[in-house]
Amino acid sequence: MKVAAIFACAALWLTPLAEAHHSNSAFYVTKVITIKGVVKEFKWSNPHVWVILTVDDGKGNKVDWKVEGRPPGILSRAGWTPKVLQVGETVTIDLSPAKDDSASGLIARVTKEDGTILANAPPPTE
Amino acid sequence: MKVNTILLGMLAGVAALHAQSTPPDFSGVYYPLNPFGRFAATTSAPKGPPPRPTASAPLSDGSRGRTPDEPSLTPEYLAKWQTISKTRIAGSPEYDLTAKCLPPGMPAMMSMAYGMEVMQNKDKITFFSELNDALRRVYLDGRKPSQKVLDDPTYAGYSMGHWEGDTLVVETVALRDNTFIEGFTPHSDQMTVHERIRLLEPGLLEDRITVTDPKALTKSWETVKTYRKASREKGTDELREFACAEGLGEAK
Repeated sequence: MKVAAIFACAALWLTPLAEAHHSNSAFYVTKVITIKGVVKEFKWSNPHVWVILTVDDGKGNKVDWKVEGRPPGILSRAGWTPKVLQVGETVTIDLSPAKDDSASGLIARVTKEDGTILANAPPPTE
Repeated sequence: MKVNTILLGMLAGVAALHAQSTPPDFSGVYYPLNPFGRFAATTSAPKGPPPRPTASAPLSDGSRGRTPDEPSLTPEYLAKWQTISKTRIAGSPEYDLTAKCLPPGMPAMMSMAYGMEVMQNKDKITFFSELNDALRRVYLDGRKPSQKVLDDPTYAGYSMGHWEGDTLVVETVALRDNTFIEGFTPHSDQMTVHERIRLLEPGLLEDRITVTDPKALTKSWETVKTYRKASREKGTDELREFACAEGLGEAK
Protein backbone atom coordinates (compact mmCIF):
# COMPACT_ATOMS: atom_id res chain seq x y z
CA MET A 1 0.00 0.00 0.00
CA LYS A 2 2.78 2.33 1.02
CA VAL A 3 4.80 1.33 -2.06
CA ALA A 4 1.81 1.94 -4.31
CA ALA A 5 1.38 5.38 -2.79
CA ILE A 6 5.04 6.16 -3.40
CA PHE A 7 4.74 5.00 -7.01
CA ALA A 8 1.65 7.13 -7.48
CA CYS A 9 3.49 10.18 -6.15
CA ALA A 10 6.48 9.44 -8.36
CA ALA A 11 4.23 9.11 -11.39
CA LEU A 12 2.62 12.45 -10.57
CA TRP A 13 5.98 14.11 -10.22
CA LEU A 14 7.41 12.66 -13.43
CA THR A 15 4.57 14.07 -15.50
CA PRO A 16 4.12 17.55 -14.05
CA LEU A 17 4.32 19.53 -17.25
CA ALA A 18 3.70 16.66 -19.65
CA GLU A 19 0.01 17.23 -18.99
CA ALA A 20 0.35 20.96 -19.44
CA HIS A 21 -2.26 22.88 -21.36
CA HIS A 22 -1.56 25.52 -23.94
CA SER A 23 -5.08 26.28 -25.07
CA ASN A 24 -7.36 28.53 -23.02
CA SER A 25 -10.15 26.09 -23.83
CA ALA A 26 -8.65 23.75 -21.20
CA PHE A 27 -9.82 26.12 -18.45
CA TYR A 28 -13.04 27.57 -17.06
CA VAL A 29 -11.74 31.06 -17.92
CA THR A 30 -14.74 32.95 -16.54
CA LYS A 31 -14.42 31.26 -13.15
CA VAL A 32 -11.71 32.34 -10.70
CA ILE A 33 -10.61 30.53 -7.55
CA THR A 34 -7.88 31.54 -5.11
CA ILE A 35 -5.05 29.37 -3.78
CA LYS A 36 -2.22 30.25 -1.42
CA GLY A 37 1.01 28.34 -1.11
CA VAL A 38 4.77 28.20 -1.38
CA VAL A 39 6.57 28.55 -4.72
CA LYS A 40 8.30 25.26 -5.52
CA GLU A 41 9.33 26.23 -9.06
CA PHE A 42 8.98 29.27 -11.31
CA LYS A 43 9.63 28.67 -14.98
CA TRP A 44 10.01 31.70 -17.26
CA SER A 45 9.29 30.15 -20.64
CA ASN A 46 7.27 30.46 -23.80
CA PRO A 47 4.51 30.16 -24.69
CA HIS A 48 3.59 30.25 -20.98
CA VAL A 49 5.30 30.87 -17.69
CA TRP A 50 4.74 28.24 -14.99
CA VAL A 51 4.41 28.32 -11.23
CA ILE A 52 4.47 25.09 -9.28
CA LEU A 53 2.82 26.01 -6.00
CA THR A 54 2.77 23.72 -2.96
CA VAL A 55 -0.61 24.19 -1.32
CA ASP A 56 -1.88 22.83 1.98
CA ASP A 57 -5.20 21.16 1.14
CA GLY A 58 -6.55 21.64 4.68
CA LYS A 59 -6.54 17.87 5.31
CA GLY A 60 -2.91 17.63 6.22
CA ASN A 61 -1.75 17.00 2.65
CA LYS A 62 0.47 19.09 0.44
CA VAL A 63 -0.66 19.38 -3.17
CA ASP A 64 1.52 20.73 -5.97
CA TRP A 65 -0.56 23.00 -8.21
CA LYS A 66 0.76 23.52 -11.74
CA VAL A 67 -0.33 26.95 -12.78
CA GLU A 68 0.37 28.63 -16.10
CA GLY A 69 0.45 32.28 -17.04
CA ARG A 70 0.67 34.36 -20.19
CA PRO A 71 3.92 34.54 -22.20
CA PRO A 72 7.04 36.37 -20.91
CA GLY A 73 6.59 39.19 -23.46
CA ILE A 74 3.25 40.50 -22.22
CA LEU A 75 4.05 39.71 -18.58
CA SER A 76 7.31 41.73 -18.87
CA ARG A 77 5.20 44.71 -19.83
CA ALA A 78 2.94 44.01 -16.82
CA GLY A 79 5.90 44.22 -14.41
CA TRP A 80 7.06 40.59 -14.24
CA THR A 81 10.73 39.55 -14.58
CA PRO A 82 12.41 36.13 -14.80
CA LYS A 83 13.19 36.40 -11.07
CA VAL A 84 9.98 38.04 -9.86
CA LEU A 85 9.06 34.89 -7.91
CA GLN A 86 11.55 33.12 -5.67
CA VAL A 87 11.47 29.46 -4.67
CA GLY A 88 10.23 29.28 -1.08
CA GLU A 89 8.20 32.48 -1.05
CA THR A 90 4.51 32.45 -0.20
CA VAL A 91 2.10 33.83 -2.79
CA THR A 92 -1.64 33.95 -3.42
CA ILE A 93 -2.79 33.10 -6.94
CA ASP A 94 -6.17 33.89 -8.46
CA LEU A 95 -6.65 31.38 -11.26
CA SER A 96 -9.16 29.74 -13.55
CA PRO A 97 -9.37 26.02 -12.80
CA ALA A 98 -8.80 23.33 -15.42
CA LYS A 99 -11.81 21.57 -16.90
CA ASP A 100 -10.22 18.19 -16.21
CA ASP A 101 -10.30 18.81 -12.42
CA SER A 102 -6.52 18.47 -12.13
CA ALA A 103 -4.63 20.69 -9.69
CA SER A 104 -3.81 23.20 -12.42
CA GLY A 105 -5.06 26.51 -13.71
CA LEU A 106 -4.61 29.68 -15.73
CA ILE A 107 -3.31 32.72 -13.84
CA ALA A 108 -5.57 35.76 -13.43
CA ARG A 109 -3.11 37.44 -11.05
CA VAL A 110 -0.46 36.69 -8.42
CA THR A 111 -0.27 38.55 -5.10
CA LYS A 112 2.95 38.53 -3.10
CA GLU A 113 3.04 38.58 0.71
CA ASP A 114 3.95 42.31 0.72
CA GLY A 115 0.79 43.05 -1.26
CA THR A 116 2.48 43.51 -4.65
CA ILE A 117 0.08 42.47 -7.38
CA LEU A 118 1.41 40.87 -10.55
CA ALA A 119 -1.35 41.35 -13.11
CA ASN A 120 -1.72 39.15 -16.20
CA ALA A 121 -1.66 42.11 -18.62
CA PRO A 122 -0.20 45.61 -18.73
CA PRO A 123 -2.52 48.61 -18.25
CA PRO A 124 -4.78 49.11 -21.28
CA THR A 125 -3.45 51.16 -24.18
CA GLU A 126 -5.37 54.41 -24.42
CA MET B 1 11.60 90.63 -55.55
CA LYS B 2 9.42 89.33 -58.30
CA VAL B 3 11.91 86.57 -59.05
CA ASN B 4 12.01 85.59 -55.37
CA THR B 5 8.23 85.33 -55.23
CA ILE B 6 8.19 83.13 -58.32
CA LEU B 7 10.93 80.92 -56.85
CA LEU B 8 9.06 80.60 -53.56
CA GLY B 9 5.93 79.69 -55.42
CA MET B 10 7.78 77.01 -57.39
CA LEU B 11 9.31 75.59 -54.20
CA ALA B 12 5.89 75.42 -52.53
CA GLY B 13 4.55 73.62 -55.59
CA VAL B 14 7.36 71.06 -55.50
CA ALA B 15 6.81 70.51 -51.77
CA ALA B 16 3.09 69.98 -52.32
CA LEU B 17 3.78 67.47 -55.10
CA HIS B 18 6.27 65.67 -52.86
CA ALA B 19 3.74 65.50 -50.02
CA GLN B 20 1.19 64.03 -52.40
CA SER B 21 3.53 61.35 -53.67
CA THR B 22 5.14 60.39 -50.35
CA PRO B 23 2.98 57.95 -48.42
CA PRO B 24 2.85 58.10 -44.61
CA ASP B 25 5.32 55.93 -42.68
CA PHE B 26 3.57 53.33 -40.49
CA SER B 27 6.84 51.89 -39.13
CA GLY B 28 6.97 51.22 -35.40
CA VAL B 29 5.80 49.01 -32.55
CA TYR B 30 2.09 49.11 -31.74
CA TYR B 31 -0.33 47.63 -29.22
CA PRO B 32 -4.03 47.07 -29.90
CA LEU B 33 -6.49 49.34 -28.12
CA ASN B 34 -8.73 46.45 -27.12
CA PRO B 35 -6.58 43.31 -27.27
CA PHE B 36 -8.83 40.93 -25.41
CA GLY B 37 -12.22 41.88 -26.83
CA ARG B 38 -15.04 42.28 -24.38
CA PHE B 39 -12.98 40.76 -21.62
CA ALA B 40 -11.37 43.27 -19.24
CA ALA B 41 -7.89 42.01 -18.47
CA THR B 42 -6.64 42.01 -14.90
CA THR B 43 -4.49 45.10 -14.65
CA SER B 44 -3.13 47.08 -11.76
CA ALA B 45 -5.46 49.97 -10.99
CA PRO B 46 -3.79 53.35 -10.52
CA LYS B 47 -5.66 54.08 -7.27
CA GLY B 48 -6.84 51.83 -4.45
CA PRO B 49 -6.84 48.06 -4.31
CA PRO B 50 -7.87 46.54 -7.63
CA PRO B 51 -10.99 44.39 -7.61
CA ARG B 52 -10.59 40.63 -7.49
CA PRO B 53 -10.51 39.28 -11.07
CA THR B 54 -13.55 37.43 -12.32
CA ALA B 55 -11.86 35.89 -15.38
CA SER B 56 -8.40 34.95 -16.59
CA ALA B 57 -9.01 35.22 -20.34
CA PRO B 58 -11.85 35.86 -22.76
CA LEU B 59 -14.35 33.02 -23.02
CA SER B 60 -13.44 31.35 -26.29
CA ASP B 61 -15.12 27.96 -26.39
CA GLY B 62 -18.41 28.99 -28.00
CA SER B 63 -20.45 27.88 -24.98
CA ARG B 64 -22.55 31.06 -25.23
CA GLY B 65 -23.21 30.60 -28.94
CA ARG B 66 -22.44 33.11 -31.67
CA THR B 67 -23.14 36.85 -31.53
CA PRO B 68 -24.61 38.96 -34.40
CA ASP B 69 -21.32 40.84 -34.86
CA GLU B 70 -19.46 37.65 -35.72
CA PRO B 71 -19.17 36.44 -39.34
CA SER B 72 -22.45 35.07 -40.70
CA LEU B 73 -21.77 31.45 -41.66
CA THR B 74 -23.40 29.23 -44.26
CA PRO B 75 -25.01 26.05 -42.83
CA GLU B 76 -21.98 23.94 -43.84
CA TYR B 77 -19.50 26.20 -42.03
CA LEU B 78 -21.80 26.76 -39.04
CA ALA B 79 -21.78 22.98 -38.60
CA LYS B 80 -17.96 23.07 -38.71
CA TRP B 81 -17.94 25.80 -36.07
CA GLN B 82 -20.26 23.74 -33.87
CA THR B 83 -17.99 20.71 -34.18
CA ILE B 84 -14.97 22.79 -33.12
CA SER B 85 -16.96 24.42 -30.31
CA LYS B 86 -17.83 20.99 -28.85
CA THR B 87 -14.14 20.05 -28.65
CA ARG B 88 -13.27 23.37 -27.00
CA ILE B 89 -16.08 23.14 -24.47
CA ALA B 90 -14.71 19.69 -23.61
CA GLY B 91 -11.33 21.34 -23.01
CA SER B 92 -9.55 19.92 -26.07
CA PRO B 93 -6.88 21.94 -27.94
CA GLU B 94 -7.48 19.80 -31.08
CA TYR B 95 -8.36 22.74 -33.36
CA ASP B 96 -6.29 25.39 -31.57
CA LEU B 97 -3.51 26.14 -34.06
CA THR B 98 -1.78 28.83 -32.03
CA ALA B 99 -1.61 26.46 -29.03
CA LYS B 100 0.42 24.20 -31.35
CA CYS B 101 2.75 27.15 -32.04
CA LEU B 102 1.41 27.62 -35.58
CA PRO B 103 0.75 31.13 -36.95
CA PRO B 104 -2.74 32.53 -36.34
CA GLY B 105 -3.08 33.32 -40.06
CA MET B 106 -4.92 36.15 -41.79
CA PRO B 107 -7.03 37.98 -40.80
CA ALA B 108 -6.96 36.67 -37.20
CA MET B 109 -3.31 37.68 -36.81
CA MET B 110 -4.25 41.36 -37.17
CA SER B 111 -5.81 41.18 -33.67
CA MET B 112 -2.15 41.45 -32.55
CA ALA B 113 -3.09 40.81 -28.91
CA TYR B 114 0.56 40.72 -27.78
CA GLY B 115 1.81 43.60 -29.93
CA MET B 116 2.79 44.32 -33.52
CA GLU B 117 5.84 45.69 -35.29
CA VAL B 118 5.47 47.39 -38.68
CA MET B 119 8.47 47.69 -40.98
CA GLN B 120 7.97 49.75 -44.13
CA ASN B 121 9.94 50.72 -47.19
CA LYS B 122 8.95 51.84 -50.67
CA ASP B 123 8.35 48.34 -52.07
CA LYS B 124 7.18 46.35 -49.07
CA ILE B 125 5.48 46.67 -45.69
CA THR B 126 5.95 43.88 -43.16
CA PHE B 127 3.68 43.20 -40.19
CA PHE B 128 5.13 41.17 -37.33
CA SER B 129 3.06 39.72 -34.49
CA GLU B 130 4.69 38.98 -31.14
CA LEU B 131 2.19 36.12 -30.73
CA ASN B 132 3.93 33.07 -32.22
CA ASP B 133 6.43 35.33 -34.06
CA ALA B 134 3.99 35.44 -37.00
CA LEU B 135 4.83 37.59 -40.01
CA ARG B 136 3.20 38.87 -43.19
CA ARG B 137 4.58 40.82 -46.11
CA VAL B 138 2.57 43.24 -48.21
CA TYR B 139 4.14 43.93 -51.61
CA LEU B 140 3.82 47.53 -52.77
CA ASP B 141 5.70 47.27 -56.08
CA GLY B 142 2.75 46.16 -58.16
CA ARG B 143 3.62 42.47 -58.35
CA LYS B 144 0.93 39.81 -58.58
CA PRO B 145 1.01 36.24 -57.23
CA SER B 146 2.28 33.60 -59.64
CA GLN B 147 0.24 30.45 -60.28
CA LYS B 148 2.79 28.63 -58.13
CA VAL B 149 1.94 30.93 -55.20
CA LEU B 150 -1.81 30.58 -55.79
CA ASP B 151 -1.44 26.78 -55.75
CA ASP B 152 0.48 26.93 -52.48
CA PRO B 153 -1.69 28.67 -49.87
CA THR B 154 -0.11 29.88 -46.62
CA TYR B 155 -1.19 31.11 -43.18
CA ALA B 156 -0.50 34.77 -43.92
CA GLY B 157 -1.46 34.46 -47.59
CA TYR B 158 -0.14 36.67 -50.39
CA SER B 159 -0.74 40.40 -49.91
CA MET B 160 -0.65 43.14 -52.56
CA GLY B 161 -0.92 46.76 -51.50
CA HIS B 162 -1.15 50.18 -53.05
CA TRP B 163 -1.62 53.70 -51.74
CA GLU B 164 -4.84 55.65 -52.22
CA GLY B 165 -3.78 59.00 -50.80
CA ASP B 166 -2.75 58.33 -47.19
CA THR B 167 -4.57 54.99 -47.04
CA LEU B 168 -2.85 51.68 -47.73
CA VAL B 169 -5.24 49.37 -49.59
CA VAL B 170 -4.36 45.67 -49.33
CA GLU B 171 -5.78 42.56 -50.97
CA THR B 172 -4.78 39.16 -49.53
CA VAL B 173 -5.30 35.83 -51.34
CA ALA B 174 -3.84 32.28 -51.32
CA LEU B 175 -4.87 31.53 -47.73
CA ARG B 176 -4.93 28.08 -46.11
CA ASP B 177 -8.39 26.84 -45.18
CA ASN B 178 -7.49 25.46 -41.72
CA THR B 179 -7.06 28.83 -40.00
CA PHE B 180 -9.77 31.01 -38.47
CA ILE B 181 -11.24 34.37 -39.46
CA GLU B 182 -11.39 35.37 -35.80
CA GLY B 183 -11.84 33.29 -32.65
CA PHE B 184 -12.40 29.89 -34.20
CA THR B 185 -14.71 30.90 -37.05
CA PRO B 186 -13.74 28.68 -40.01
CA HIS B 187 -13.42 29.71 -43.66
CA SER B 188 -12.81 28.12 -47.06
CA ASP B 189 -9.89 28.34 -49.49
CA GLN B 190 -11.90 30.97 -51.39
CA MET B 191 -11.54 33.60 -48.67
CA THR B 192 -10.05 36.96 -49.61
CA VAL B 193 -9.19 39.73 -47.17
CA HIS B 194 -9.44 43.40 -48.08
CA GLU B 195 -7.92 46.04 -45.82
CA ARG B 196 -7.78 49.82 -45.66
CA ILE B 197 -5.00 50.91 -43.28
CA ARG B 198 -4.41 54.53 -42.28
CA LEU B 199 -3.23 56.77 -39.47
CA LEU B 200 -6.24 58.35 -37.75
CA GLU B 201 -3.82 60.72 -36.03
CA PRO B 202 -0.07 60.52 -35.40
CA GLY B 203 0.60 57.22 -33.58
CA LEU B 204 -2.94 55.83 -33.96
CA LEU B 205 -3.22 53.24 -36.74
CA GLU B 206 -6.50 51.83 -38.00
CA ASP B 207 -7.07 48.68 -40.07
CA ARG B 208 -10.56 48.31 -41.58
CA ILE B 209 -10.83 44.66 -42.59
CA THR B 210 -13.41 43.16 -44.95
CA VAL B 211 -13.54 39.39 -45.38
CA THR B 212 -15.32 37.75 -48.29
CA ASP B 213 -15.81 34.02 -48.72
CA PRO B 214 -18.55 32.76 -51.07
CA LYS B 215 -18.45 29.26 -49.57
CA ALA B 216 -18.28 30.01 -45.85
CA LEU B 217 -19.98 33.40 -45.42
CA THR B 218 -23.53 34.44 -46.28
CA LYS B 219 -22.30 38.05 -46.56
CA SER B 220 -18.96 39.82 -46.32
CA TRP B 221 -17.77 40.52 -42.78
CA GLU B 222 -16.20 43.73 -41.56
CA THR B 223 -14.16 44.51 -38.49
CA VAL B 224 -11.96 47.42 -37.39
CA LYS B 225 -8.71 47.09 -35.45
CA THR B 226 -7.01 50.10 -33.88
CA TYR B 227 -3.44 50.20 -32.59
CA ARG B 228 -1.52 52.76 -30.51
CA LYS B 229 2.16 53.31 -31.26
CA ALA B 230 4.49 52.40 -28.39
CA SER B 231 6.81 55.00 -26.93
CA ARG B 232 10.51 54.73 -26.24
CA GLU B 233 10.08 56.77 -23.05
CA LYS B 234 7.81 54.12 -21.53
CA GLY B 235 10.18 51.38 -22.66
CA THR B 236 7.43 49.54 -24.51
CA ASP B 237 8.77 49.88 -28.05
CA GLU B 238 10.69 46.60 -28.05
CA LEU B 239 8.76 43.39 -28.60
CA ARG B 240 10.09 40.21 -26.99
CA GLU B 241 11.11 37.01 -28.76
CA PHE B 242 8.31 34.45 -28.52
CA ALA B 243 10.06 31.13 -29.32
CA CYS B 244 6.84 29.15 -28.90
CA ALA B 245 8.49 25.77 -29.56
CA GLU B 246 10.28 26.14 -26.21
CA GLY B 247 7.14 24.76 -24.61
CA LEU B 248 6.04 22.30 -27.31
CA GLY B 249 7.21 19.28 -25.33
CA GLU B 250 4.83 20.37 -22.62
CA ALA B 251 1.79 20.54 -24.89
CA LYS B 252 -0.96 18.08 -24.18
